[in-house]
Amino acid sequence: MNSLVLLNGSPRGERSNSMKMLARVAEGWERGGGRTPEVLHLAQRSEFDRAVQAFGESDVVLLGMPLYTDAMPGIVKLYIEALAPRVEVAAAGERNPTLGFLVQSGFPEALHSRLLERYLEKLARRLGSPYAGTIVRGWGEALQMMPDEANKKLWARLRTLGEQLARDGRFGEEELDAVAGTERFSALAAALLSVALRLPAVQFMWNRRLKKNGVWERRFAAPYRPALRTGR
Amino acid sequence: MRITILNGDPDPASAFQLYVQQVAGRLADSGHTVTTLNLRDLDLKGCSGCFGCWVKTPGECVKRDDSARVCRAVIDSSLTVLASPIVMGFTTALLKRATDQMIPLVHPYFVVQGGEMHHRPRYAKYPALGLLLGAGSNCDAEDIEIATAIWKRTARNLKFRTVFTAVADRSAKEVADELARVA
Ligand SMILES: Cc1cc2nc3c(=O)[nH]c(=O)nc-3n(C[C@H](O)[C@H](O)[C@H](O)COP(=O)(O)O)c2cc1C
Repeated sequence: MNSLVLLNGSPRGERSNSMKMLARVAEGWERGGGRTPEVLHLAQRSEFDRAVQAFGESDVVLLGMPLYTDAMPGIVKLYIEALAPRVEVAAAGERNPTLGFLVQSGFPEALHSRLLERYLEKLARRLGSPYAGTIVRGWGEALQMMPDEANKKLWARLRTLGEQLARDGRFGEEELDAVAGTERFSALAAALLSVALRLPAVQFMWNRRLKKNGVWERRFAAPYRPALRTGR
Repeated sequence: MRITILNGDPDPASAFQLYVQQVAGRLADSGHTVTTLNLRDLDLKGCSGCFGCWVKTPGECVKRDDSARVCRAVIDSSLTVLASPIVMGFTTALLKRATDQMIPLVHPYFVVQGGEMHHRPRYAKYPALGLLLGAGSNCDAEDIEIATAIWKRTARNLKFRTVFTAVADRSAKEVADELARVA
């Protein structure tokens, strides 16, 4: 377990929440004795092609992504489709790398990402790859909003996961659970949150940007509503 | 009734493509207004995660491409059918690229829905959703189960009601008739 390829599946590329988290896992990986990983952003065309090639050359591949409409982003699916020849390769007895994943979502509860996690685990099986596990984390946009100080605990846990990957070839369950945080809201929390979300202040992250862009008044625009259509 | 079919098959000459065509034809024959968009023929630039559709040009993708056509056809329908072969255990990248660009159909504001965090609707009415999957040779029951479960979640997230899911192993006529019934 020595060489690692870090694949960032965020369409945002380098400046993404996925990359922020992957970078911490990579730090832990090196601390655990792994070689400095190659980092590739799938959103970059040239790096995408390299990533297809790199899959077969590495001991471990860690693929991170944001949750997009409850699944992987289109670009990540495109990458997975490009791995189809590796299924044949594995069937012919050649080895595929150990596969680990990171999925982070906008919504805070981990449950949103669990079906994608199931898909990814199956993907590892399909490729005949040893499965290192999937790091799941909600509230991904908070990483941008918080000062780095506030994320210190999370960074430490991600480094630990990286160390485990280098040492044991897989993530530890306990650490995965800790990073995942809230699985789902309790009935009480859901009720309280439901009320709180009616306060405009709670939606500040959207309101601030709508106002800054001068489109606050148009925030409820429904441009495709059939009744409003002209010329029909 | 207005039915929109989004076909995520990249191959214009496949058996699945022909099957989708037959389903569409049968639905049209029985009096429905059917719009089929073969996604491979559209200019879809894909989502870059900028949230511009929520905070810059509310309700529309900032990219000038055919995603507006797709969104309009979806909102304009009372039934939208997502059709795709299963490739590497899931629907195609082509269909996923198109649905990533559908988030302008909802509003950024958070709400609690069914005890989970979701988004506020942007439209008063959303279509019912049908899912039509083509099972290839490298696809097993677990793949179908996972893909179906994920799309049901996606539908909920985007405010669609899932009313129909099927694998294309029955006759196109049977599937079309059932679609017409549930819509
Ligand atoms: C097209 C699109 C779809 C999304 N769908 C979901 C979703 O279904 N559930 C969720 O919790 N977050 C969703 N998000 C939010 C992202 O997962 C979240 O913003 C993430 O932190 C972005 O990570 P990145 O910076 O690595 O791209 C979506 C974002 C976009 C742009």
